[in-house]
Amino acid sequence: MAKDRSSSNDFTGPLRRLLLAVLILVLGGTFLLWRIDSPRVERFRAQITDRIVPNLDWAMAPVTGAVNLFRNFQSYQRLSDQNRELRSELRQMQAWKEAALQLEQENARLLDLNKVRLDPRLTYITGVVLADSGSPFRQSVLLNVGARDGLVDGWATMDGIGLVGRISGVAQNTARVILLTDASSRIPAVVQPSGQRAMVAGDNTAAPPLDFIENPDLVRPGDRVISSGDGGVFPAGLLIGQVAADPGGRLRVRLAADYERLEFLRVLRSHGKEPVSDSAHIITPEGPLADAADPAPEALQP
Amino acid sequence: MTDHSQTRLWLMRAGFGFLVMVVLFFQLLPLQMVPRNWTGPDLVLGFACAWCLRRPEYVPAWSLAGLFLLTDLLLQRPPGLWALLALMGCENLKVRGRSLRDGGFATEWLTVCVVVIAITLANRVILALVLVPLPTPTLTLSELVTTLLLYPLMVLVTYGLMGVRRAAPGELDAVGQRI
Repeated sequence: MAKDRSSSNDFTGPLRRLLLAVLILVLGGTFLLWRIDSPRVERFRAQITDRIVPNLDWAMAPVTGAVNLFRNFQSYQRLSDQNRELRSELRQMQAWKEAALQLEQENARLLDLNKVRLDPRLTYITGVVLADSGSPFRQSVLLNVGARDGLVDGWATMDGIGLVGRISGVAQNTARVILLTDASSRIPAVVQPSGQRAMVAGDNTAAPPLDFIENPDLVRPGDRVISSGDGGVFPAGLLIGQVAADPGGRLRVRLAADYERLEFLRVLRSHGKEPVSDSAHIITPEGPLADAADPAPEALQP
Repeated sequence: MTDHSQTRLWLMRAGFGFLVMVVLFFQLLPLQMVPRNWTGPDLVLGFACAWCLRRPEYVPAWSLAGLFLLTDLLLQRPPGLWALLALMGCENLKVRGRSLRDGGFATEWLTVCVVVIAITLANRVILALVLVPLPTPTLTLSELVTTLLLYPLMVLVTYGLMGVRRAAPGELDAVGQRI
């Protein structure tokens, strides 16, 4: 019987093996190409995602809504407990609100006295989260804004309160945000009030650790962590979270953004700093001193 | 008769593609944004194994390769590597499928265990060799264990809901060959 089978496969057998070999070569080649020239393949990946995921949105949105509704129902069961907690919190908050209002007025007065203009170029685009990374190994979300809306790789993304991540991978209609919790996320930060510089290095846990702190003795749990703007990619001064120490004594950041509910995200437009492109010229009373290699200013001299 | 079975063949091939898309759809839903230290099974691989052992002609190599690569691309994995290993594992299962037909389900489960563990190990070894940062071992391990534990359930769905069962000895496939 086995012989019978092999003879009937005389034509299809080798052909099938050839096809398999070709497929294996193609897949292996894709992996090698990705390893060698990652940006090109990642762009291809972004385009494929861009084709497929927005088309699923009509179905994804209602299903996500239904699941969230169900989860909310579960939380309604603890409603009276939550109510009591909220009421006591509200009492504390009212005191804070009073303080905040006074500070706000004072701040506005001082800004007015100093004629400070806040950077008008710090504007944002709001996008809706279409999908998450789909696997527990990567922490990222897909937004429904992309190159069409002028997004650029590296821009910062926030929810209402804190930093969420950084744009990495822009396609025509979608953009991927690498969350701060992803293992490949590294954000330069400053710990206030001590002013220590550190890196918020994601490691696929809910609270990313602080790496490369200059002097860990000066950093205490409860300190605020804000982005430092080092490297020129990120705007400075965005709230990341609070320092917390884990049971092993390692300093981590409890993130300010509400990662349980990422629905609408703000992408901050960042235009970078002006690059210094020309070499130094010496300025004399007759104007800039001419470079030896640059003949144009010589014509101006009398 | 040939015409009818041809239609069924292509319907079932499309059915497998649809199954993979449904699995991907539910994985991509933006519900889980907080990292966790356990994970569910790799349903795509499990279903592919179950189908390969039952009706290899419904999951030809080109369709498996395409769907695995799509999964790699959408789920942010290094593109191509997992697809390559999974394809090789599934083709291996197809070759063994005929001899496994006579054994019970326990033999099949054991074989699938060996293949899936081999795929996972090879994936980690190759990633380490080309110096790609490895995912946490606990995550990989929990994915592996849940995939293996839930494999009977996937077989049940394949068998009961989608009607993909083993060919009886002597049955003819769509091309008219003896299976």
